[in-house]
Amino acid sequence: MTHLIRVCRILICGALLALAQVASAQDTTAEPRVEPSAELSAEPALTQTEPGIGPLQSVLQEEAALITKASRKTIGPVIDHILSSELPGVPAFLSAWQNKRIWQRKSDGLFFVAGETGDRSFVLTDLDSDSVVGDYPKDALVQLKPNSGVRGLIATALVQFQLSDPDRATREEALVAIERRPGPDLLLPLRASVAAEPDPDLKARKMRIERLLSIAYDRDPKERIAAIEAMSHDLGVDVRAALNPLVATTLTTAATLPDDRNVARVLAPGSPQLDRLAAYDMLVAEDLAPPRRSSAEIKTLLATHIDGGRVGGVPVAQLSDPEARVTAYSALFAAGLVPPRVSDADIDNALASHVFFETYAEPDPAVTDAAEAALATIATRVGLNQSLDLGLDAISLASIYFLAAIGLAITFGLMGVINMAHGEFIMMGAYTGYVVQQVIPNHTVSILVAIPLAFAVTFAAGVAMERLVIRHLYHRPLETLLATFGISIALQQLAKNLFGTQARPLTAPGWLDGALVLNDVVAISYIRIAIFVLALIFLGFFLFLMKRTRLGLETRAVTQNPRMAASMGINPGRVNMLTFGLGSGIAGIAGVAIGLYAKVTSELGADYIVQSFMTVVVGGVGNIWGALLGATMIGTLQKGIEWLNPSNTLAAQTYMIIFIIVFIQFRPRGIIALKGRAAGD
Amino acid sequence: MRKSFVAQNPSVLVFLICLSLFTVVVTVLAEGFGVGALSTSFIKTLGKTLCLCLVAIAMDLIWGYCGILSLGHFAFFGLGGYMVGMWLMYARTEIIVEGALAQGDIPPTPQEIIDGIGNQIFGVVGSSDFPVVWTFADSLMSQLLLVLVVPGLLALVFGWLAFRSRVTGVYLSILTQAMTLALALYLFQNDSGLRGNNGLSGLQNLPGVTAPQSAVSLWFFWASALALGAGYILSAWVVSGKFGSVIRGIRDNEARVRFLGYPVESFKLMLFTLTAMIAAVAGALYYPQAGIINPAEIAPIASIYLAVWVAIGGRGRLYGAVLGAAFVSLVSTWFTGGQAPDINLGFYTVQWVDWWQVILGLSFVLVTLFAPKGIGGLFDLLKREDKA
Repeated sequence: MTHLIRVCRILICGALLALAQVASAQDTTAEPRVEPSAELSAEPALTQTEPGIGPLQSVLQEEAALITKASRKTIGPVIDHILSSELPGVPAFLSAWQNKRIWQRKSDGLFFVAGETGDRSFVLTDLDSDSVVGDYPKDALVQLKPNSGVRGLIATALVQFQLSDPDRATREEALVAIERRPGPDLLLPLRASVAAEPDPDLKARKMRIERLLSIAYDRDPKERIAAIEAMSHDLGVDVRAALNPLVATTLTTAATLPDDRNVARVLAPGSPQLDRLAAYDMLVAEDLAPPRRSSAEIKTLLATHIDGGRVGGVPVAQLSDPEARVTAYSALFAAGLVPPRVSDADIDNALASHVFFETYAEPDPAVTDAAEAALATIATRVGLNQSLDLGLDAISLASIYFLAAIGLAITFGLMGVINMAHGEFIMMGAYTGYVVQQVIPNHTVSILVAIPLAFAVTFAAGVAMERLVIRHLYHRPLETLLATFGISIALQQLAKNLFGTQARPLTAPGWLDGALVLNDVVAISYIRIAIFVLALIFLGFFLFLMKRTRLGLETRAVTQNPRMAASMGINPGRVNMLTFGLGSGIAGIAGVAIGLYAKVTSELGADYIVQSFMTVVVGGVGNIWGALLGATMIGTLQKGIEWLNPSNTLAAQTYMIIFIIVFIQFRPRGIIALKGRAAGD
Repeated sequence: MRKSFVAQNPSVLVFLICLSLFTVVVTVLAEGFGVGALSTSFIKTLGKTLCLCLVAIAMDLIWGYCGILSLGHFAFFGLGGYMVGMWLMYARTEIIVEGALAQGDIPPTPQEIIDGIGNQIFGVVGSSDFPVVWTFADSLMSQLLLVLVVPGLLALVFGWLAFRSRVTGVYLSILTQAMTLALALYLFQNDSGLRGNNGLSGLQNLPGVTAPQSAVSLWFFWASALALGAGYILSAWVVSGKFGSVIRGIRDNEARVRFLGYPVESFKLMLFTLTAMIAAVAGALYYPQAGIINPAEIAPIASIYLAVWVAIGGRGRLYGAVLGAAFVSLVSTWFTGGQAPDINLGFYTVQWVDWWQVILGLSFVLVTLFAPKGIGGLFDLLKREDKA
């Protein structure tokens, strides 16, 4: 239907001049239109043609008093009245009312939609006919200002119109509004709008919300049970939020089990679910039993009744004996001086004469049973998804361990050099990243610069260390351990002196923020994915280097038999130096990666060194796949133990180390043990 | 004909004489004795140093003589301290609680006393019940026995597992390090029963002893000196007999000793357990002088420092271990205690508290590279000059 659009633009200049401009269009409305030929006089403002009081206006006039003084408590019936009129202008009116665009004309109390034209004057539009009524100065009008409570109720009333609004965005907004403030009166309009919904996505969402509302508000238990069963495969937090109130129970006590309550279960006092004394205290709280006297209270009462060195005939000195205290207190009670002492037998008697049970707030047992069943189904699925999440966590922890250990797999695994300063190389890499970020503020660029730079710095440090120290100790592995440990504490203290003891931030680029969310249970942060990818890249790089390059070939040769390699023209010193530098350089890159998700401190490396050695030892020395398997095993194990005892990560690490010690018993050479001559000693 | 024990080990006699002289001199100069040239806190430092020398001897036995670089002996040292600390803390708290409860009109029941002690000790970790490990804490005798039994048992079980599967060399080192890390992490938990990271404190106060700290510190100093002397004799005796020869044989070529028919694993296990017990005794004497023990004490780094001392002092000779431990720990105390004067280079002020670790680390590298015999090597030079 096309509307007649008529724009009257009336300019008021003081109280003298009036000019009306009329633009007209086709008139297809049923209602006759009156040309607003207007001339304005001074007082108060000139009214133009009255279209008469339309049906909506008359409904509003019936409730005028409540509308003008709208409050959350009284407006409900008014809105219902307006809705029940089912007039076409209702949605527009409600929306205008909600947006404070409804003004009341002082002269006759009629309501209009008003639009400000400037200069403190408003153009009024009729609610029923949508035709312009005229221009009015602000003095002649009163704005309706519904408070937020009223606006909320109006919004709820509007939802049913918005749900079938032709505009998709409006319908979506309405759904969001329902999700935010679900209510019993939204159920029917929502249900009515589902069938006509053209958009499949929105339709699915509508059906889902409709079920959630049914679970909470439907009057028909069958509908609710059907909705509960339909939702029992949904992992959403909102589903559990809708179901949990249904199965919420309160613990109560009575002399006998009542018939008219939906009893969840009866608890026996003294069972693990209900402590004996807690049960008795419930009786006390409901005045069904006399309060217990704690031993401290009894002691105080005894002390207040000391009479000539005796309490109730018992000498004070004997009161260190609990039996004597009971005797004394009984004597005082017999004399009427103290309240009764509740003995164990009294407690048992009181408990025996009462039942303790949990009742559902929801009266219908069929509904609560269905909800319990649905929650159990959901719990199983949540459990499955949690194990998936746990698996992802384990993989991500494993990739961190792998990153930390891969350099060690080269220096320790291939060359047999125990480098206790390996952790400090990781730390140096992380600090390199931090320093680069101080110079280059762009995070993406700085990370791209930091990675090769960290490699260069730690490569140089590794080569220097190999040339100066390790070269001289190749045949004394235990002393290598001690010497590199000396370097480790020196480097750690140097880092403390240079950068201070507080943690330094190494910020990841913006595109690594956030997490990949699979559903309400499973999510994995992008930074962990990045670390996983980096670990894979390193694995590929390592394999390529060892199997496909000249350096790899020479490294393997020197590892297996340095003298034979030397006689074939390979310079073992050079190869050792490069290999060691490479392992150290990879540690530096790992440091950048680890620094991204952990704070950079001088102890960063020390935190990983034992785990890294464990990874290499458990996996099997001299084999990159061993390091991978070792990292996977340690990561999975640690996450698994943490899952069993989530409050205590310290315990998880303890048990993991104990497990590794035991594991070494059965596979002393690691998961993948080198065989034959390559195994050496 | 067999030579006598002392003739075989001339260093024992020299060492004992030096130790006795040192003890007498320190005693005479001590505040508790009246002269007051040495403060009580310095006496405690000396007493603690003697304990560290004892644990260094244990380390030397297992590393210098048997070639097993254990990076976990401070775990045994700490456990010994914990065992004594439990009794000290329990007994002292008992006296305090009994005193407080005796103020009331009604005498306390035994249960009230125990609850009061439990509250005092475990209040910091949000508990008041006694964990199982405190079962014998009320008896000094049983706790002293546990000083030997608990670390000994741990060493026995761990050593049996490790040696049985023929874990040797650096692998064993890492494994021992893992053991001490696991123990430290376990003790850090609040529900470990040993007050989590609060540790045990107030250990310097002997329950029921009213003597001033200046006297108590001397008593502990004497006890430490006695223990060090006894430990030295025991160690010298162990390494001088046939047992010692086998042990050294294992160090030099384990496979050959095994093929000669010796049960290598049993020898190593016995020595490992023995050294663990010596370390535990040292710890039991150390922590009452330190006054507090907490899990940070047995972090892996402590055991590595132990190896550092022995290496600097000189491995494979008992007096080397003693020299190294005494020298490095005293110098460390001096530098990190803030007594050493800062050096102003004009553009930068070298603060020893910050730079001591760097120097220690680097000097450690230098000793390993250029003086594998450590300070003890100097004596070899002297001897050679005598002969020449």
